[in-house]
Amino acid sequence: MKISQEKANDTVVCRLEGEININNSPELRKDFEEIIKRNEKKVLVDFSSVTYIDSSGLATLIEMLQRLKKIGGCMRFSNMDQKIKNIFEITKLHKLFDIYETRELALKDF
Amino acid sequence: MMLIHKKIPSRLDIIPGFLTEFTQKLAPLGLSEEELFNVKLSVEEAVVNAIRHGNRQDPSLFVEVAAEAHNGCLTIKVVDQGEGFDFENVADPTHNHNLAKLSGRGVFLIRKLMDKVDYFDCGRGIKMIKFLKRHSIKRNDKDA
Repeated sequence: MKISQEKANDTVVCRLEGEININNSPELRKDFEEIIKRNEKKVLVDFSSVTYIDSSGLATLIEMLQRLKKIGGCMRFSNMDQKIKNIFEITKLHKLFDIYETRELALKDF
Repeated sequence: MMLIHKKIPSRLDIIPGFLTEFTQKLAPLGLSEEELFNVKLSVEEAVVNAIRHGNRQDPSLFVEVAAEAHNGCLTIKVVDQGEGFDFENVADPTHNHNLAKLSGRGVFLIRKLMDKVDYFDCGRGIKMIKFLKRHSIKRNDKDA
């Protein structure tokens, strides 16, 4: 998995690429921890190049959402492939996260 | 048609490599992208549970994975060498009070993504079935 970050106004846009799985979830957690350490409060995760996610990946995202909320921040997702979105819907995690069709819509709503 | 029958050591780091090999072996079935995604995720969750909870990551213990296609069904069995578990009392991770929990979604996902799921040998083994669509069966018959 590749992780790249950019800034759009006061929001950190985190673009993930490839699989989010049991082996690379710790790497994702580390990157999110660095974002939180920088006291960034608005995080948008762009899923357009994410091809796969397992339960450990879901757990990492839940954990980071909780940590961001603790410091008054929020996290949003965008551009999910239908297969990935299906996993969020089956597990009802779409109720926990704000999921947007596009990056622009998510950014507009922060 | 036996697609794969493999014993893997109880190491989480080898799972992505194993899954790549596993999904390649399913190629003759002509599964759709979505079916392949769902089968791959179910197998991963079953193998992770077998390694982590079944064999407790004891490197001397193995997890056996077997997959075969027969009579329009893809049947996958994952068996560990642990003590088993109470598969009838698994909490529903979609309940509001469980929604934010960091674990407990593996078994639920398998049950949702596969067409039929049974446990055997006191929970040491799981049998997952995916019904193959017409195009997959045709190709399967051709290969047989």
